[in-house]
Amino acid sequence: MRIPLLILALGAALAILPFVGSEYALSFTVQLLMFTALAYSWNIIGGYAGYTHFGQVAFFGLGAYVGALLIGAGWHWLPAAGAASLAAVVLALVLGGAMLRLKGSFFAIGMYGLARVGENFALGFDGITQGGTGLYLTPADLKPIYAALAVIALALIYGTHRLDNARFGLQLLTIREDETAAEALGVRTTRLKIAAFMISAAAPGAVGALYATYLAFIDPATAFAPMTELTTIAMVLLGGLGTVLGPLVGAVLLSVVNELLWSRFPELYLGLVGVIILGAVLFMPRGIVNAVARRRWRWSAAPRAGLRRLADAVPAADTGRRALPETAPAPRAPDVSVRST
Amino acid sequence: MSAPAILDPHADQRPAGVAPGRDDILVVDGVSKRFGGRVALDAASLTVARGSITGVIGPNGSGKSTLFNIVAGALKPDGGAVRINGRDTTRHSPAQICREGVGRTFQISRLFAEMTVLENLVAIAHGKSDVQAVERARELLDFLEITALRDRWGSELSYGQRKLVEIARALMLEPTLMLLDEPFAGINPRLQNRIVEHLDTLRRDGLTLFFIDHEMRIVLEVCDELYVLAEGRVIARGDPEAVRADPAVAEAYF
Repeated sequence: MRIPLLILALGAALAILPFVGSEYALSFTVQLLMFTALAYSWNIIGGYAGYTHFGQVAFFGLGAYVGALLIGAGWHWLPAAGAASLAAVVLALVLGGAMLRLKGSFFAIGMYGLARVGENFALGFDGITQGGTGLYLTPADLKPIYAALAVIALALIYGTHRLDNARFGLQLLTIREDETAAEALGVRTTRLKIAAFMISAAAPGAVGALYATYLAFIDPATAFAPMTELTTIAMVLLGGLGTVLGPLVGAVLLSVVNELLWSRFPELYLGLVGVIILGAVLFMPRGIVNAVARRRWRWSAAPRAGLRRLADAVPAADTGRRALPETAPAPRAPDVSVRST
Repeated sequence: MSAPAILDPHADQRPAGVAPGRDDILVVDGVSKRFGGRVALDAASLTVARGSITGVIGPNGSGKSTLFNIVAGALKPDGGAVRINGRDTTRHSPAQICREGVGRTFQISRLFAEMTVLENLVAIAHGKSDVQAVERARELLDFLEITALRDRWGSELSYGQRKLVEIARALMLEPTLMLLDEPFAGINPRLQNRIVEHLDTLRRDGLTLFFIDHEMRIVLEVCDELYVLAEGRVIARGDPEAVRADPAVAEAYF
C-alpha cells in the first residue's frame, strides 16, 4: 500500500504549498503538475499498451482552444476544462478506430502528423481562432487552477496504480507484448486500444484548457508545441515506461533539471537537457523506475504486486493432481532488464 | 462412437471417404492454398473426432503449418471449408475462432515476454473474476508441474518451459478444442514424454487435441488418429500402426 500513502503525502504537500511557497514556487509547480498529468496520460497508451506516439499535443491543443473559446463565450474555466476534456475524448474515439490500425512507427508518425493538422486548423480557421494572433483571456486566479491540476495529477497517479493491478492493465500489456497472439487468445484488442486511447486523451484535453487559462492566452504555436510533446515523452522514458511511478519521477526530475539549467545556462540549457536524456536512454533504456526494480532495492515497489499477493492469498485448490512439494524455490523478484530477443 | 449413418445429422457435410457416424469437432474439407505459384495445400481434407488426439505429420514444406494456420484463422484458404462444431469458420478471424472454444499454442513461443507466467495466464482469462482467474491459473500450473515458474518473467524461461506455459495459457480459455503447433519440436525426450502424459490426461477430461508436428516417434505414440501430409495432399490417414505400415508414407517421409 505504498503508493496510496505516497499519493496522500503528495496531496498534503501540494495542499500546504500555496500557503508557504512563493509565487515562483507555485508557478513552477503548476507547470510540473501539468507535465505530470500529460506524462501519466501518455504512459497509458504509450507505456502500457505499447502504442508510443508523438501526437498527444493534438488533444492538448484541442483542449486549449475548446477551453479558450468557451471561456471567451462566458463560461467559467472549470466547466470549460471539463468540456475540453470531453472534446478530446470524443476526438480520440473518432480517431482511434482509424489511427490504431497503424502499428509501431506508422502510428507514432501518423499521430505527429495529426498534431500538425490540428495546428494548421487553428491557424486556418482564423474566423474562430484568430489564427496566428491567438486568443486572449482575462487572467484568472492562479491558486484554483493549481488546485485543479493537483487533483488531476494525483487522480492519474492513483488511476495508474489501479490500472497496474487490474486485468485491464494486464490486457493492455498483452497488446504491447504481442498483439497478434493476444488477439488469437481472445483478448479484445481493438476495443481495449480505443478505450486506452480515450482515457489517455481526457487529461490532456483538460490540461490544455487549464494551460490556456493559466497563460490567459493561446495561439497555434503554443497549443500544439512539439516541445510539449517531446518533454512529456522524455519524462516517461526517463522515469520508466509502463510503470506506476515512472512518469512522476521523470516529470519531477526533468522539471527540476530544466529549471536549474535554464536559469544558469540560458544559452546551453536545451543542449544540456538533451545530453541528460541521451545518457539516461543509453544507460537506463527502460527508465529509472525499471532500473531500480531490476536492482531489487528494497524500497522499490514491485510492479503489479497486487496479482501476486492475490495468488499467495488464494488457498490452493484441491485439484487431486500431483502438486510440487512445498519446497519449490521461492519466486524471485522479476527482472525487468532489456532483452535482445 | 459409431452410430448408424441414418442418425448422423452431419453426413452431408463430411468429405468423401470419411467414415460416417462420428462426432467430429473439426472438419477440414478440401482446403487449398496457393502462395504465388507454389501450391501449399491441394484439396486437403481431414476430420478430428471429438475427444481424440489427432495429429498431422509431414516433412518440411508439406503444408502442415499452412493447414494449421487456416484452421486457426490466421490464413484464409483459396478453396474449401473449415468447420468447427459444425459451424463454418473458414472466414473467421483468429479471435472469433478463439471464441468458438478453441485454444492454441504457437510454434515459436509467443509468451508475453515482459509479463510473469501468472500474468500471462490471468491476462487472457475470460468471464472470470480476478480470484477465479488466479485460482484457475494456479490449478493449471499445478497440473503441468510448473508452479515454481509462477513469478518468472516470460522471457526468462527455457524453450521447453515456454511450451508448457503456452499449453497452460491456452487452457485458461477452457477450450473444447486445443490446437498445438509443433508441441514436441526441439525439446528433449523426457519433456516430450511429460507433455504426452499431460495431453493424455486432458483428453481423458474431455478435451480434443489437434496438433501438427514432425517428431515421428512421439506422434506415433500419442495419436489416436494420424494424417500424413506430403506436398499439400493427405497421403495417408488412420491409427499410428496403419500409417507406419503404409508404403506411401515410407516413401514420402522416411
